[in-house]
Parts: sequence; structure tokens; C-alpha cells
Amino acid sequence: MAELTAVHEPSPFAVPSRKLGIWMFIVADAATFAALLFAYGYVRVANPDWTHPFAFWPSIANGIVMTVVLLTSSLTVIAAVLAAQAGRKAAALRWLGATMLLGTLFAALHLREWVSMLGAGWRPFRNPLGGTPLVGATFFSVTGLHLLHVLVGVIVLAVIALGYRRGRFDADHLETTGLYWHFVDLVWMFVFPLIYLLNMR
Amino acid sequence: MKRYVVVWFALLAIVAVEVVVTLAHPPTGLLLAGLLLLAGIEAGLGLLYFMHLKYERRSFMWSVILAVVIAVVLMDHFWLDAFRLLHQRISAP
Repeated sequence: MAELTAVHEPSPFAVPSRKLGIWMFIVADAATFAALLFAYGYVRVANPDWTHPFAFWPSIANGIVMTVVLLTSSLTVIAAVLAAQAGRKAAALRWLGATMLLGTLFAALHLREWVSMLGAGWRPFRNPLGGTPLVGATFFSVTGLHLLHVLVGVIVLAVIALGYRRGRFDADHLETTGLYWHFVDLVWMFVFPLIYLLNMR
Repeated sequence: MKRYVVVWFALLAIVAVEVVVTLAHPPTGLLLAGLLLLAGIEAGLGLLYFMHLKYERRSFMWSVILAVVIAVVLMDHFWLDAFRLLHQRISAP
């Protein structure tokens, strides 16, 4: 009977499979967001009566605070990963908690913006200012998908933090989750200028 | 950690520049080009430092970047149609 032997080829990228997996997800998700932003660009170019719904106060100011909060959460998740890699479990958990708190704050600020817009009569297919209704459609779809990513990120961070505290997960798991969180932050770097700043009155 | 804090400050500074440029009310095309450039720099800093692509193998770094760039370039084919619709539009009375 022929003897079976496993062949272990080295990874061409020298990247562990878990990390490679999250990077593949990030590439695919980046294409998804790019497609949404391109669709927004398409309808915007094709509609000369595009409405500019955002005043500096409160919408843009709120967006600036949201951006600072999300950028800071990227820094806290790095602190969590570095602490975990150094074996400082309590510090890593504290930084993860701070990241979740900032993520939740971002979501709350985002929802406040949505509630304010809905109160002003904006709907995904209704423009209270009389221009094309696609303004609301693009705003709610792009920011909605991003908000969904933030909320999923907060839940994943909570699951990873619990598992890390119980010893089920290690620093590599934190790093992989951190990559996802940075990606969510990176997407916002395009959403804020293109959706908010470019639509300021 | 110090390096990450420096990148964080740089990203905050770029956001501030974006807001200041927008408040100057340049023509829309110029504003779009400026904002895209600044967002691209932010994305580059985030990818290279926060997401550690700078410290991965070059083959991996370029595989990731090229995959996204090619997808984005392939999406550019419909702009002509957007401008066609813009020019076909009849002005409101």
C-alpha cells in the first residue's frame, strides 16, 4: 500500500491563512464600496439639478467629529494588538473596550444624522428640497452599508475580546480583526469627502 | 506606538485640509480632484502603516493593491454614458 505523505508548501506571500482570508475579504469589500461610490458618481454627473443637502452646522461638523472618532478607534485597536503581542492581556482588553466604545459612539452620531435627515423629510427615494430623489438613495445606501460594517465590527470586536479573555483567541485573532476595523476606517476616508463635503451647501 | 500616533496626526491634518479646501468653495471639478487626491493619500497611509502592508512581502502588497486598482479602473467605462445623459437633459422651463 502506497504511503501517503502531506506536502507542505511555503506560502508564496509569507502570510498566515487567516490573515490572507481577511485580506481577500477586504479586497472584495473594497470593490463593493467602490461600485457604490461609482454609482453615486454616475447619477450625480448625470443629474445637473443635484441637491446639496448639508450645511456646515450641524451635518459637516457632525461628520468631522465622526471622522475623528473613527480615526482614533484605529489607533486604539493598534494599541490593543501591540499589547496582546506583548502579552499584556489586561491592557489589550482595555484598548479593545475603548475601540468598541468609539465604534458605538460613531454609530450613535451616524444614527443622529440619519434621524435628523429623516425628520427633514429625506427618504431613500424622496428629496424634500425638490431635486432628484437619487440624492437620498445614494446617501442612505452608501452610509448605510458603512454603518452596517461599523456595527458588525463592534460585535466582532466584542466576540473576539470575550474569546481572548477566556484564552480561546490570541494576538493573531486581534490583528485580523484589527485589519477589518482599519478597512472600515479607510472606507470612511472616501465616504466623508465624497458624500458629505462634496454635497455641502 | 509613536509611529502610529504620528500617522494618526497626519490623517487628522489631512481631514482638516479637506474641510478647509471645501469651505473655500472651489469649482466642483477641482474640489473633487483635490478631495480624491487627499483621500488617496489617507488610504495609502492607512494601508501602509495601520494595516502593515509596508511590512508585508512586496509580492503580497502589490497583489492586494493591484487587485483593487484593476477593479476600480474597470468601473470607469460608464463615465461617458453619465456625460451623455448630462448633455441630453432638456433644461427645465
